[in-house]
Amino acid sequence: MTATVVSSAGVEELGKETGGRTAFWLLPAIAAALTIGQLAWVRTADLDSIEERSLTNDVVLGNLWEHVQLVVISTAVVVAIGVPLGILLSRRAARHLRAPVLVVANAGQAIPSIGILVLLALIFGVGFKMAVIALVAYALLPILRNTIIGLQQVDEFIIDAARGMGLSRGEILRRVELPLAVPVILAGVRVSLILNVGVATLATYTNAGGLGDLIERGIVLNRMPILVTGCVLTIALALMVDWVAGVAEKLLSPKGL
Amino acid sequence: MSENTPMVRLHEVTKHYPGAAVPAVLPLSMDIALGEFVVLVGPSGCGKTTTLRMINRLVEPTGGEIWIDGKDVTHSDPDELRRHIGYVIQQVGLIPHMTINQNVGLVPKMLGWNKSRTAERTRELLELVGLQPEHGERYPKQLSGGQQQRVGVARALAADPPIMLMDEPFGAIDPVTRDRLQDEFLRLQERIKKTIVFVTHDINEALKLGDRIAIFAEGSRLAQFATPLELLTNPADDFVTSFIGEGAAIRRLSLLHVGDLRLVANPGLAANVEVGPGDTVAQALERALGRGVSAVQVTGVGPVAVQDLLLASSTPGPAALGAGS
Repeated sequence: MTATVVSSAGVEELGKETGGRTAFWLLPAIAAALTIGQLAWVRTADLDSIEERSLTNDVVLGNLWEHVQLVVISTAVVVAIGVPLGILLSRRAARHLRAPVLVVANAGQAIPSIGILVLLALIFGVGFKMAVIALVAYALLPILRNTIIGLQQVDEFIIDAARGMGLSRGEILRRVELPLAVPVILAGVRVSLILNVGVATLATYTNAGGLGDLIERGIVLNRMPILVTGCVLTIALALMVDWVAGVAEKLLSPKGL
Repeated sequence: MSENTPMVRLHEVTKHYPGAAVPAVLPLSMDIALGEFVVLVGPSGCGKTTTLRMINRLVEPTGGEIWIDGKDVTHSDPDELRRHIGYVIQQVGLIPHMTINQNVGLVPKMLGWNKSRTAERTRELLELVGLQPEHGERYPKQLSGGQQQRVGVARALAADPPIMLMDEPFGAIDPVTRDRLQDEFLRLQERIKKTIVFVTHDINEALKLGDRIAIFAEGSRLAQFATPLELLTNPADDFVTSFIGEGAAIRRLSLLHVGDLRLVANPGLAANVEVGPGDTVAQALERALGRGVSAVQVTGVGPVAVQDLLLASSTPGPAALGAGS
């Protein structure tokens, strides 16, 4: 439960201690080294014809691009649903709905994503859209929960003072509560993004492509180079996404907190 | 609006929270005059904060009427009402992601003031509460607790509201700073002449600041509503006496002015310590004790023995005091 409120504070603290600049570039450097190293190895390795066909630049970059699309689109949909829903549920009038909605969102995350994927594929057919729906169901909880928590953790005295100054409920939400909740909401977005990078590897089972294609093909055809390429690129992508989300968190969080 | 229209009038105001056995505030009526500094004081749970928060309707009264400046505001737009009433709370509640300037300028901005007028007003207010212009660029957490509460006061004054509501504004500040802020605030009030309603649980703060003090007893009973001198001289009942605590007679000395006493000169005494009618008895004593003399020269009266000064200041009166001792 508490794990959904992941903050980047620990990483930033570490950054301060070990000389910020080195720490700041560490993750992208590792991701770049992994990607370049993997691609260089693939180009120089002695591959058979199946491996060669599966590891052309077009295939690998195509799968990578599909993966990025899956992650970005599903996270955008989750933000579009989760943040407004979280705002609604954080209002006093909706406090009775909070628990049931969180239970459902929790269930979405508890159900193994492969289960949702396959069920959706059975009912609605395969494809990119189905994969996005499954990813959304899976990644909704962190953003929903963090939006609610982010709004609830705003000091009640700040809201009391703002009301006492004559700000309306809407103005308080816009000028006070939401800006103060931004860091927590963004932490939720970051968690959702990273979850989605991992879960999107399963999209291959609904014919939605992504790096899961390489992993699955590597396993089925028993070809290590294909499998390893898929895995390494997934890891590198997760690292990059986490880094970008961390930078965004820092840039978008209001000053003075 | 006539001279006699109270700035704040509470008429039979009550608050009864749903589900609560007893009302938080019993029918309460209170008139507060323009420019008056009224302190609501009492033990925890006596309804003083609830009463304060009903004036700007952060708490909606269950019954009764609230009048501000001759207008019934019991059912008016609460947000509009609050924009014209300053509000200061113990926790200050500055908005953390806004600079001090933005915090102070928020209400003027909402009221549609232009940028230069807001900036001018903000600068003026920071100076008024003893802060430097460069404080304006900082964020609240970069200031000390005392500085934050100065900003809290400046923010409440931003749109020049005629009324200020203050809920234990100095309650969370260390005693030395609190004392200084109280003194500064009294000097500030002499300049701005706001109508102030101030909540505290500290009777000494109430006696120091208030023109009039409303002492609340448990169950939101208004035990006495009177000037500090009147409270110390004629406490209405045992609750007031015990709430004021020890040393009422001594504390009166810093509220009594020498000019208010019936003093008889004793021309035979040599007195070279000068005391004016505007000085308090405590100040007169301070000077006499500091110089080690037994008589003071009261302007317009003549030499007066310190003993006579004390007897004239005593309560309930010299005769009774004499008989008692």
